[in-house]
Amino acid sequence: MTPEIGHILLIVFLVLSFAGGFLPLTSVYLKNQTFEIPIKKLAFSLFLLIFLSFLSLVYSFLIDDFSVAYVSQNSNTNLPFYYKFAATWGAHEGSLLLWILAMNAWLISFMFLTKCSDKNFTNAVFSISCQVMFSFCLFTLLTSNPFERILPIPPLNGADLNPSLQDIAFTIHPPLLYFGYSGLMIPFAIAVAAMLFNVDTKEWAAYSRPWTLLSCSFLTLGIALGSWWAYYELGWGGWWFWDPVENAAFVPWLLSVALFHSLIASQSRSVFGKWSILLSIFAFATSLLGTFLVRSGILTSVHAFALDPERGVFILGILGFFVIGSLLIYSLKDFKKDEVKPYQLSSKEFGFLLNNLLLVILAVSILFGTIFPLIYEAATNGKQISVGAPYFEIILFPFALALGLLQGIALYLSWGVTSSFNFLQRLTLESVSLFGIILLVLFILFDNLYLSSFATIFLACWIVAGTLQVSKKRNLNYWNFLKKRLAVTFAHVGMAILVLGVGVVTSYSIEKELILTPGDEFEFGDQKITFQSIEDTLGPNYFSKSANIIFEDEKDISSVVTEKRTYTPSGQLTTEAGIVTEPFQDLYISMGDNLEADIWSFKVQIKPFIRWIWLGALLIAFGSMLAGFNRIQRS
Amino acid sequence: MKKLIDILPLVIFVILIGVLFSFLSNKNNQLETVLIDDTFPKFSLSSLEDDSRLLTQLDISELPALINVWATWCIACRVEHPFLMKLKRESIIPIYGLNYKDNRRKALELLKRDGNPFEFSIFDFEGRLAIDLGVYGAPETFFIDRNGVIRERHVGIVDDKIWEEKFAKYLYE
Repeated sequence: MTPEIGHILLIVFLVLSFAGGFLPLTSVYLKNQTFEIPIKKLAFSLFLLIFLSFLSLVYSFLIDDFSVAYVSQNSNTNLPFYYKFAATWGAHEGSLLLWILAMNAWLISFMFLTKCSDKNFTNAVFSISCQVMFSFCLFTLLTSNPFERILPIPPLNGADLNPSLQDIAFTIHPPLLYFGYSGLMIPFAIAVAAMLFNVDTKEWAAYSRPWTLLSCSFLTLGIALGSWWAYYELGWGGWWFWDPVENAAFVPWLLSVALFHSLIASQSRSVFGKWSILLSIFAFATSLLGTFLVRSGILTSVHAFALDPERGVFILGILGFFVIGSLLIYSLKDFKKDEVKPYQLSSKEFGFLLNNLLLVILAVSILFGTIFPLIYEAATNGKQISVGAPYFEIILFPFALALGLLQGIALYLSWGVTSSFNFLQRLTLESVSLFGIILLVLFILFDNLYLSSFATIFLACWIVAGTLQVSKKRNLNYWNFLKKRLAVTFAHVGMAILVLGVGVVTSYSIEKELILTPGDEFEFGDQKITFQSIEDTLGPNYFSKSANIIFEDEKDISSVVTEKRTYTPSGQLTTEAGIVTEPFQDLYISMGDNLEADIWSFKVQIKPFIRWIWLGALLIAFGSMLAGFNRIQRS
Repeated sequence: MKKLIDILPLVIFVILIGVLFSFLSNKNNQLETVLIDDTFPKFSLSSLEDDSRLLTQLDISELPALINVWATWCIACRVEHPFLMKLKRESIIPIYGLNYKDNRRKALELLKRDGNPFEFSIFDFEGRLAIDLGVYGAPETFFIDRNGVIRERHVGIVDDKIWEEKFAKYLYE
């Protein structure tokens, strides 16, 4: 009965979101009060409907109701209960439900926290969001209904959740990412509403900023968690694979970063109004495009979802409707000229412009690299190629370098014109000294310096020095100065830490394939690796071969376990890497194949500074979240 | 001139949507497999009926043939079973079973009770051959032509409709 209730709630949601999608706008345009509806109450009821509908799916998972097709495909009686819970969003259908829930959560947060002076404007934002949610709900009901039953003979047991998703990081990675994606709906709705009602650039930019920042923060967290998960779960020791699905999240991230920077300028100086509108539209569009690429089956990826071209057409339809619609409004509208104070090349405005240009070119190149294999396949009648890491790394490097250099001086720039560039001397001095210190530390830690890492390490120092501005003469107390810009300090220093991590880990990592039998020892770097024993272990829904490994150096001994798991319901194999985490490096070992009776292959890696990548990302997410909340408080 | 720049984003986006749409209509809903147009992978596994009998790819001798991945734990396979029996009864094409991660005793009981449409079944307890074939799950069916080349695959239940749409054409080549 519960799945049916969930299904009905979803249908009611569909009807109400349809009403919410056009009634408030109609009442504004006809200037007729009869169509006016209490939008706050409606938003709240919509939230309740989708929340209860989602709960009923969760419930079906928890009680192992395998007559529900989606449950039987993604769960199993032996699955631990927390994974049953997480399996709710473990595949396409359920994740859509979560997505709608997230959009609704964003919408009510916006309506209750952002006070807009113009009622029509709020009505329009509400309506546009309702239209987006309506289309997602229609998509769910028509092509991906999670409540579909298998009757009359329900299976006795389910097929189990995809084993590589049975993991703690996985339980929170998708929700964070979906919150990030769906949050971009708000800036989109604001941008369109601003065009419809000729809202002042300064005004709508102020409304949009916190929500862009918060979505970006969620995207950062989602991407970072996904990367961490891939690192220890896929067993390759990599942290970024340029997989289409990763790119699909990275592109909207880049655009949302560009957007909130451009919004700063729009709010403070009325500049880049049209540009900010376009960015809002495209940030939202790329988040939908990512969904399309992943779920239509036209790209194959590690993250394959249930593939169904019919779904692809539908998502493309949604994408086309909203983006073409909004761009049509954009192209037809006569924008009134904002009063803009003039600015010069040395100004903060120009800094933001450059930042946006670099980020957007980067986003377009990555998007192109992701779609290019498709174009190639179509043009050559089915020959397949894959655009791999080399392409993306070549593209990324110069732009990241330019962005980093800009980031170092960005906080010194002033609106209109920067009167003096004297700070460059001090900035260089500070960053060079920091660079020296870090090289010294690296040399002490690893007895080696790699020229290839110098550029990225220096860049990290440059950004840190530019952000902290230790030597900048101020009457204010230095700590008060930092406290005033806490959010940006966290985010920019986070970026520096991330850059440092990437630089060091790409140059200093070492890896080796080993073939060992129990009792064997091997010298690797300054570590002595001992393959102590191998044993059979049994989990709730898997059995595994687990190898006990000991890492030993002069200072300490640590033992880890790496496993080859076979999940019983599906028969899938996964590798669990054994990782020893030290402050400055990870010792990473993953089990390979069983070559003969007791002979196993292993891949062992030492990954210096890899944790710093995620630490950096966490700081970025924290910084942008802080900035977002500050903005909400101020408005 | 200024208007032209305002229309540009729209134009670019419409082209992008058009391109993506054309990809979508090009792409049929078959699963990509590296093995299509490849010869059947080598294997050496015991027979379901007799665990001392070792089967290899050479035992799949009557061609063209279907390879059907099945198991007793697979409910959909039971739905598919009558259709396979029909193919057998009407001697349309020989079918070789790939018994996938199953219990030997239960599998034999099922064949005894419901009928055996297979020439023989390969007993793939660890799913080794299934991995080589890139099997997604049971049921799944592969078409092997008279030269031993995999020509088509289908994930899910094969019935009259699927047989006509996907497999029948290869039979009369």
